[in-house]
Amino acid sequence: MDGGGLVVSHDDSAAALAQGSAYSGSSVRRHDGDRYLQGHIAYSDDLRLPGMSHAVLVLSPLAHARIVAIDTEAAQARPGVLAVLTGADLAAEVGPIPNAMDPAGVGGRDVALRVLPVSKVVYAGQPVVAVVAETRAAALEAAALVHVDYEALPHVLDAEAAMAEGAPLLYEEWGTNIMLAGTAGTGSFEDVRQTAFGVVEGELRTGRGAPAPMEPRCYVADWDVQTSRLTWHGTTQAPHPLRHSIASFLGVRERQVRVVAPPVGGSFGYKNFGHPEEYLVCALSRIVGRPVKWVEDRTNTLRYGSRDMRLRYRAAFGADGRVSGVTCHMLANHGAAAATGAFGMALAGGLALPSGYAVDVFEAEYQVVVTNKGPYSPMRPFGKEASALLMETVMERVAEETGLDPFEVRRRNWVRSDQFPYATSTGLLLDSGNYEGLLDKVLEDFDLEGTRAEHARLREEGRYLGIGLGFEVLPEGADIPGALIGASDISTVRMDPSGDVTVLTGVTSPGNGNDTAIMQIVADRLGVSMDSVSIVQGDTDICPFGFGNVSSRGVLTGGGSAALAADDVADKLRRVAAGMLHCDDPGRIRLGDGMARVEGEPEQALPISAVAGALYTVGYIVAPDVEPTLEATRTFKMHNIRHQPDDGGQFNLFSTFSNAVYVSVVEVDVATGLVEVLRHVMVHDCGIMINPRFVVGQFTGGVVTGLGAALGEEILHAADGSLSTSGFKTYLLPRANDVPAFEIAHQVTPSPFTPLGTKGAGEGGVACSMASVLNAVNDAIRPLGASVNELPISPHRVLASLQEVDR
Amino acid sequence: MIAQDFAYLAAGSLEEAVAALGADPGTSRAVGGGTWVIPECNRGECSPRLLVDLRTAGLDGIRPGDGSIAVGATCTYADLIDSALVARQLPLLHRMATGITGGRQIQNQGTVGGSAVAARPQSDVPAVITAMRATAVVRGLAGERRIPADELFTGAMQSALRPGEVLAALEFPVATERTTVGYHKLKRSAGSWPIATAAAQLTWDEGGRVSAATLVLGGVAETPVPVDVDDLLVGQSTLGEAMAEVASRASAAVTRPWTDELAPGSYRAAVAGPVAQRALAGAARRDNREGGNDGAGL
Repeated sequence: MDGGGLVVSHDDSAAALAQGSAYSGSSVRRHDGDRYLQGHIAYSDDLRLPGMSHAVLVLSPLAHARIVAIDTEAAQARPGVLAVLTGADLAAEVGPIPNAMDPAGVGGRDVALRVLPVSKVVYAGQPVVAVVAETRAAALEAAALVHVDYEALPHVLDAEAAMAEGAPLLYEEWGTNIMLAGTAGTGSFEDVRQTAFGVVEGELRTGRGAPAPMEPRCYVADWDVQTSRLTWHGTTQAPHPLRHSIASFLGVRERQVRVVAPPVGGSFGYKNFGHPEEYLVCALSRIVGRPVKWVEDRTNTLRYGSRDMRLRYRAAFGADGRVSGVTCHMLANHGAAAATGAFGMALAGGLALPSGYAVDVFEAEYQVVVTNKGPYSPMRPFGKEASALLMETVMERVAEETGLDPFEVRRRNWVRSDQFPYATSTGLLLDSGNYEGLLDKVLEDFDLEGTRAEHARLREEGRYLGIGLGFEVLPEGADIPGALIGASDISTVRMDPSGDVTVLTGVTSPGNGNDTAIMQIVADRLGVSMDSVSIVQGDTDICPFGFGNVSSRGVLTGGGSAALAADDVADKLRRVAAGMLHCDDPGRIRLGDGMARVEGEPEQALPISAVAGALYTVGYIVAPDVEPTLEATRTFKMHNIRHQPDDGGQFNLFSTFSNAVYVSVVEVDVATGLVEVLRHVMVHDCGIMINPRFVVGQFTGGVVTGLGAALGEEILHAADGSLSTSGFKTYLLPRANDVPAFEIAHQVTPSPFTPLGTKGAGEGGVACSMASVLNAVNDAIRPLGASVNELPISPHRVLASLQEVDR
Repeated sequence: MIAQDFAYLAAGSLEEAVAALGADPGTSRAVGGGTWVIPECNRGECSPRLLVDLRTAGLDGIRPGDGSIAVGATCTYADLIDSALVARQLPLLHRMATGITGGRQIQNQGTVGGSAVAARPQSDVPAVITAMRATAVVRGLAGERRIPADELFTGAMQSALRPGEVLAALEFPVATERTTVGYHKLKRSAGSWPIATAAAQLTWDEGGRVSAATLVLGGVAETPVPVDVDDLLVGQSTLGEAMAEVASRASAAVTRPWTDELAPGSYRAAVAGPVAQRALAGAARRDNREGGNDGAGL
């Protein structure tokens, strides 16, 4: 298959970037790193507004119950209490929470979610009543006096049980607990199965994981009675979409809302928009006429889940190890409904199949089911771990059945580097890649045969080590029709009369350094030093529109549009400088090291600051034809996004497809089931890297998340539906000494579609680590006849699998 | 943040602490390092009206006695780690303290006395002090009582202290020159509580044969599980042959295994054997200075 006649434009800026760039491509340190290290960064909870009050929420102790009556009298009477409000009180004031993505838009079921429920609760820990008081202590004390009378209802936690006949229904009006069901893919598995050499089938399960950023959520809403404007400060990835959403919620004009996003301590998707408290504080502030702050505690962050999927698959293959068709069923346990668009994780997981393999026949079926667990939350890599786990398991199984080397089976099935852009059987258009090159590069530093021989020797001593390969292709830079999630952003570049540069972006930074990377891009294009450049992000009154930092696209969209804007300003500088240096051709002016120089005439030079100053002050003399501003605002459209379905009903929502191959080595303690990761060798390809240090930082975080998902992290509930894993002593997030030294290398295959040749780097490492560790564990215990197919690979699961063999 | 108003008393002496706690024992709580009680209060799982801080009550000394060492109730893990006396004469306690989960912050804040009184199944202290045959010295309005460690733990999160009683010290018999120790802690990650622990002490005669053996399992049941291995090990100069029987006895001793979020009871019972073997193997290496021989994966 090829690109289907799609026009591929190669932006020459990628080439320009490679040419004479002082900063881009180098590991410049964060422009504000010292301030983070010295504790000078003010996070949302550091905000103290005059007259600020504090909201505390009364939470449901029950997983599923009707709210019969709420007695707030005792709480109202406490000193310092400003308001005690129920869902019914608020329903009269404000509308339901607007959906970040509407499940009904893709054939699913929607429910009008209120900031506080009016008639029933659907998970333990769901906020029911809001108490606003002068201090947090007063609010806490009053909250303990609120009495809610519940009528308990039967609850369901398991996705399969939730689909059974007679299961308790969370949203009775649906008549089912299935929120969304659909298919992706092409062709008939049944047809290829009949002619196949063999078929493997199996099941995989992933445990429920939490985004768990170091900084929980915190929101401060400030309704100003005098101007009828709301200023919202808080932990958000998406200031502009949130502003739109808050305005709709409050029933005010968008211009009446300002969203300000202070630096955040990690987001991972959790701080996109759509959480009830984001809107609740707005309503509370308007009611009490004062700023209202709400701060989340650690336990609450662990009520939000992701993954929690059951994957069933069948794959048909030839004797040569070529996979001719795959069919799979994906069942996602969403927990309670949410307005965050988190259901899209199942959709993305389905679309991301069959990964980077040239499998022509692919049938994926997905179902998203609501249960009485806490809600799904968006979390990197947004469901795509399912696709990597599934395909990497299929490849291992095919290798086992055919007797071929599992690494060789990958090579035989990968999309070849000369086949890009490649249309997958689920409709995605893979931009570029060299998957075999990734593996070749891994094997430069990994002695496969030697390691296998060593493992065979160690088995004689009763030690069980294994090697596992993981491979991921991550659709990123999403543009979702009908939602404020897009693959473009606006950036403004502005040069002052003094030559200082301000960059304003619609995109924000979750703390990953994309702001510094964007500054690098702009500094290079204007030929100025980094310390001449500053950046403003995350304020809707100041910054141009942007979709925020979602879908791994901060540098792609924010950096790409900033590059174009900087080029416009640079063009003007060249024209002004040409006039001042008596050079006829502005094309001969080179900007660099803070100087404008005539090419080939080094003595003909001016400081760029002088050129800028001249345009502002003597522009009518030195540059009569140049508009008297040094400011440009630009954006761009991705050429490969296709929303209009083709004849086969397929569409492509994604801009870039970063990819990676990992090889893990683990040792399994067969007496205790403990797994230790000894080596984790990684080669990534995210196209052009503006700042390799930040790329490695992103992958390091992703890998740690992946290792946690593979081995330790699992949200658990008691039989009554209450949360059991309420902190980091029971929800086992890896710590520094739990992970091996990472061996990270890069391959650079530029995207032909993006202005700078970059691809996403924000979601990498999670899926690949889950797959490589699972495969390594199975490689280690396969000689004992055992295998695991459920993550996290907790010691008790390993031991149970080994004991099963014993019996 | 603690939701309700409460009074805080920095007790100036043990007597003052006992008087304050005894006045209304149902609504007051003693605080040692506070690493368990304060988070509990923050989470609203308990709402005492009075918190009595023992850190100012002069209970922090490590005092050598006649054949024993008294470790004050508010001695922190760091105090134990830093004590040459503890390292030399209470090697098992020292070993345990160095491997406490939570890093330097917990070592500096948490107390061995507090952990004993909290009696949590998933903590290191109960099995170790049971193996060491420590005695808890407790004080209440009715006077002083001495409780042997094997009677101190009555259930999960339940100690034999009566309402209003305060732990003053833990008294440990000093290990002989010929005693070697082993400690094995199985946990799932650096931050995880212990899933299963085994504390072992072996005493050797002049001929290099075992003259006494102690083995206590922790984390596997509500309270520490002693495993009688004397008849298997006494008289042996190496443990190799007895190890299989050690494992099956350890496993059989876990009759009512503890289940929590980190591991089901069936798993704890299954690993009791290997964990016991590893602790004894550590003791048989006869080097008390050896670092922690924990097992931790993720």
